[in-house]
Amino acid sequence: MAGTKRRKMWLRLTAFVLPALLGLAAIAFLALNVSRDITRLNSASSDNIQWNLSQTEVEFLQFELELAQALQGDSPDIRSLRRKFDIFFSRIRTLQQASIYGELRAVPKFAANLATVAAFLDRAVPVIDSDEAALPSLLPALEQKTRAVRPDVRRLSVSGLNYFAVESDFRREAFSGTLLHLAIAIAALVAALAVLACYLAVLNAQNVRRRTQVIEASERMNIVTSTSLDAVVVADTLGRITDFNAAAEQIFGYSAKDAVGCDLGELIVPEHHRAAHQAGMARLRETGEKRVVGSGRFKLEAKRANGEVFPVELAIQSADTKEGEIFIAFLRDISSQVQAEAELVLARDRAMAGEKAKTDFLATMSHEIRTPLNGLLGNLTLLEETRLSTRQSRYIRNMQTSGKLLMSHISDVLDITKFDAGKLRLHTVDMNISTLLKDIVDSLSGAAAGNGSTLEWGWTGTPLNWVHADRDRIQHILMNIVGNAVKFTKDGRISITTQASAAEEGKTILRISVRDTGIGIDPGLLPQIFDDFATGDSSYDREVGGTGLGLGIAQRFVKALGGRITVESTPGEGSVFNVSFPVQAIAEPEPKGEARFDAPARKQANVLLVEDNEINRHVAREMLTAQGHFVTEAHNGREAVEMAEETGFDLILMDISMPVMDGRSAARAIRTSGGASARAPIIAVTANAMAEEQEAFLKDGMNDVLTKPLTREGLLQLIADHPSPAPPAPEGAALRSQQLVELEETVGAVALKPLLNRFAAEMEAFLKSLENGQDLAANETAVEAHRIAGSAATFGLPELRSALIRLEKAALSQERQAAEDALSPLRNTWTSTKPVLNLF
Amino acid sequence: MLFKAFKIVAISVFAAQPLAAKNLDQPVGEVVLTVSGTPKAENAGEAAQFDLAMLEGLGAVEFETSTIWTQGVQHFEGLPLIQLVDHLGITGTTLRATAINDYSVDIPLADAVEGGPIIAYKHNGEEMSVRDKGPLWIVYPYDSKTEYQSEVVYSRSIWQLDRIEVIE
Repeated sequence: MAGTKRRKMWLRLTAFVLPALLGLAAIAFLALNVSRDITRLNSASSDNIQWNLSQTEVEFLQFELELAQALQGDSPDIRSLRRKFDIFFSRIRTLQQASIYGELRAVPKFAANLATVAAFLDRAVPVIDSDEAALPSLLPALEQKTRAVRPDVRRLSVSGLNYFAVESDFRREAFSGTLLHLAIAIAALVAALAVLACYLAVLNAQNVRRRTQVIEASERMNIVTSTSLDAVVVADTLGRITDFNAAAEQIFGYSAKDAVGCDLGELIVPEHHRAAHQAGMARLRETGEKRVVGSGRFKLEAKRANGEVFPVELAIQSADTKEGEIFIAFLRDISSQVQAEAELVLARDRAMAGEKAKTDFLATMSHEIRTPLNGLLGNLTLLEETRLSTRQSRYIRNMQTSGKLLMSHISDVLDITKFDAGKLRLHTVDMNISTLLKDIVDSLSGAAAGNGSTLEWGWTGTPLNWVHADRDRIQHILMNIVGNAVKFTKDGRISITTQASAAEEGKTILRISVRDTGIGIDPGLLPQIFDDFATGDSSYDREVGGTGLGLGIAQRFVKALGGRITVESTPGEGSVFNVSFPVQAIAEPEPKGEARFDAPARKQANVLLVEDNEINRHVAREMLTAQGHFVTEAHNGREAVEMAEETGFDLILMDISMPVMDGRSAARAIRTSGGASARAPIIAVTANAMAEEQEAFLKDGMNDVLTKPLTREGLLQLIADHPSPAPPAPEGAALRSQQLVELEETVGAVALKPLLNRFAAEMEAFLKSLENGQDLAANETAVEAHRIAGSAATFGLPELRSALIRLEKAALSQERQAAEDALSPLRNTWTSTKPVLNLF
Repeated sequence: MLFKAFKIVAISVFAAQPLAAKNLDQPVGEVVLTVSGTPKAENAGEAAQFDLAMLEGLGAVEFETSTIWTQGVQHFEGLPLIQLVDHLGITGTTLRATAINDYSVDIPLADAVEGGPIIAYKHNGEEMSVRDKGPLWIVYPYDSKTEYQSEVVYSRSIWQLDRIEVIE
């Protein structure tokens, strides 16, 4: 590219120089001509030709005059005459001989005249040279001849003069021609030089412009680098600094003057990086291998003049220059950034620690509040069963109402805390939406009626009854919204409409709309309606009250369900709350064998109560003993393990947080001890039960979770759900299936008992054969399971039947893992079913 | 000084010739040259007259040169002008040379140098008659220098010379 350009320029220059040289040569040639002509004029080989020619005539006339005088006088001056003749003779001889007249002699006319004159002289010589005495007599003849030749002499000089006049003209013309040529050549040369000068001027202007541009670009570059906030350090391949900008001066604390020429490594690379730096430079010099050059940004450490080592972010690029390869490093002091990051991390950690502390505090507080509250409510329950006056009963009910409200507030706070801490886990179960709605309407219709309002519910479109969802959360949401509607509607109508629509991935979107004709919500409050502690204006507060947490919690739960909640309202006309969330639609499950709760008092269970709080222990004991159960108390996990080792309990109620040994450890110890109560149902009793904790409890070997506060109903239900695996007495178990009862009535107790015994024996044998190593996935297993399942159906034991059918299916499809998974539920179901059979 | 110099020249060239201290010898033959304005050397009133023998006796130089008035290279023999000037003790600056036909020309004394013009009395070994530009002809060695090939020098090359006057 540059080569082509240079060649072009040379070509152009040659185009100017060549004519100039030619012009110069022409001028030199012409100048030589001029010089020659001038020399010719100077050397003037002519001698004054004109004078000579005219002198010829003069000298002839003098001779003729002398001759005439000699003829007139008596004594002629012969000597003078001869002298005049000789002079004329000499002149003619000169004309004949002189080289300068050579050309003239070539002119025929001149030559003829000269010849005539010469002939005259030749004839005259003998006369002139004759004897002095004889001469005078010869003179008249000579005089005649002389007169005769005069015109010839005249013609001679004139013809000569003419010739030289022409010759002179010719020479002048030739000379002027030469001069003209010279002038033209000079003019041409000057023109060529002028053009060349113009071209050079243009070139020069171009160069000046380029130079200016280069200087400007360089200055711009300098400004850019000097004003750069990043340090720019340029070094050569030897690592010597060649440039050091203002930012670099500021960052590193060296002046550019001091830095330039120094070794880069010694100046700014910290000592612990120096070996690596030098190795890198050496590698670069030897192999040209670049590891960091051009590899983008990276972080490193650098050293300031005061020795301080600080973090930098840098990028290095290389460039080829005339002086060789150079390396340009752009460095940014990121110490403040790093510090800010560290501070941010610290602040975040602190915030997180604070958040955790808050969560922990709230969880702890809720636990610490609930425990005494449990005691309070439990004792109220016990107190309720003593002999009381009407007023006392009313006080107790008031106290219970206040206590339950307090409990629900604590639960709200706990729920918010859990959600905000990301600990809210869904606990999905199979549930019936219609049933739920019906229950809610039933529970709130009384309150609605109290306000003079009607409460109704219904489906839009096809009803969707059975779904797999978090029943408790949904209930909480709806209770809150519908409860609000009831609270804020006087003499109006509250309608709940539900609609199910299909959505992606087999999910179903459930839309529940709660519409009321109540007082409505002020538009200014709508945006904050779901905020925590949002309450209506003070007049409503006075009328209805509330913590303002209800809708906040509802919204959190809806979000946890993956749905959304919206509200529309017109003050004075009413509000509409729309809740939508995805659910998993399921088929209606097989109806469970409804275990009949029948006269629990007559069936006594031997219960181990593990609880460190004395009041709670007392309440629970009172509740259980009031129902006729035997209660053994343990104050901590260690005591419980020891007791369970020796005694076979029907049920173990296990508090979780206890001194010495907590509930979870105790449950694990009991399960693995192989003691008398190793297979007894263990129920976790906790005030602070989160879903994942509940799962953990079950993993520890516990069978169920009972949330504090303990209620009589809850306790009794639990005992019904978990009959003792080995009832201490025939009448110990409290459960019988409806079908069995009917069967007993049909066939009579005497006939039923042996059937049940046989069935139990078969079941035991089957389980034992499986435990003894029978192939679970074998065909016999499937056949046997199928046969026993049929019997279970006959005796009205659907759970046992389901468990058996599950095992049968797994065995048929030879899925060993599925079969093993099915074995444990079967065993558990049998464990809980066996006592029932013994009741008959 | 001048006399001494003259004496040395005279002795060296013509050792046998008797010399006049103040005045020149009287010409014996036909007078061919009259030099006037030379107060230190006179033999005819206020002038110095020379016959051909006297001139030949004063010194002789020979050279060959071409001239514009002749054809081919010519041989000339004559008395160098400088020798005449020295001999006569001429101290002026200009000589006026006049020919028989009264042609006259001024010759600066500066022209009288060694290797310069001579007063030729022999042309191609022979004495010159008036008809052949004689008897005396001031000839410059034209071929030796380009300076001698100029119109001025040609005009000073006076032939048929018979008088020299020191005019300044």
